[in-house]
Amino acid sequence: MQEISLLLAVGLNHYLILSAILFTIGLSGVLLRRNLIVVMMSIELMLNAVNISFVAFSKYNYNPEGQVIVFFVMTIAAAEAAVGLAIIVSIFKRFKEVNIRFFEHLKG
Amino acid sequence: MSMDTMLFWFLSLIVIVPALAVVLLSNPVYSALSLVMTMVGVAAVFATLNAYFLAGVQLIVYTGAVMVLFVMVLMLFDLKHDLQTFSRGKVSGFLKIAGVGVMAGLLVGAISLATKKPSLIVEGSPLANELAATVASGADNTKILAENLFLRNMLGFEILGVLLLVIAVGTVALSRSKGGTHARD
Repeated sequence: MQEISLLLAVGLNHYLILSAILFTIGLSGVLLRRNLIVVMMSIELMLNAVNISFVAFSKYNYNPEGQVIVFFVMTIAAAEAAVGLAIIVSIFKRFKEVNIRFFEHLKG
Repeated sequence: MSMDTMLFWFLSLIVIVPALAVVLLSNPVYSALSLVMTMVGVAAVFATLNAYFLAGVQLIVYTGAVMVLFVMVLMLFDLKHDLQTFSRGKVSGFLKIAGVGVMAGLLVGAISLATKKPSLIVEGSPLANELAATVASGADNTKILAENLFLRNMLGFEILGVLLLVIAVGTVALSRSKGGTHARD
């Protein structure tokens, strides 16, 4: 009986678990993939997961602060994508490949 | 099953399946397209949570700006051959997957433990009444959002503006640099 109500009544927990699943997918992408661009995409996935949980808390607590934080997170995510892609382009210019193992040669 | 519930399950499918495709597909172009699908799904999830303005911003910023940036950088490279998609090493790979599993278990455990719903707003205060009225009417809360952003979080907003300026200058400087000690000429 409880499983049926869990399927039918969507509440805060559903959104939080969706956010957790998305976050773990992004985390596994960061850990497992070798292509730098895909690693950046996985970071974007994690940021989106956090945004979902912020908006869900904001709705179910009647508090607009969460949505303001989502604004800030989106801005930071766009900035992070710009800087990360600039770094990736500079790595590609030097090594002709975008693999994460070239990050150790970045020093200096 | 009500419309909202069906919409939620459909949207969670739309969000999670392309997210898995981002991680699992070996061609980065397919990963980028799957990521676009995930972003559109997340925007729809925002819309189901009554955050219509954020849904629009999500569409414009992520699928409009960030993904165009990703796809353009992808086109800059010749990435038809992604020789080694996943990281090498069975033991370290197992450790990483186990770490991800522990992370997922911790998250779901924490969520299911926190069944008590905290309320951050004092009951009966004017703010709570206004917010409850807005939520009940189903109207979008863009006005409340703007008041909160521009009256109570003005400092953060201005700091973000300065940060964006720094990022723009820094990105141009970074893409014009000659590569430090690895410079060939």
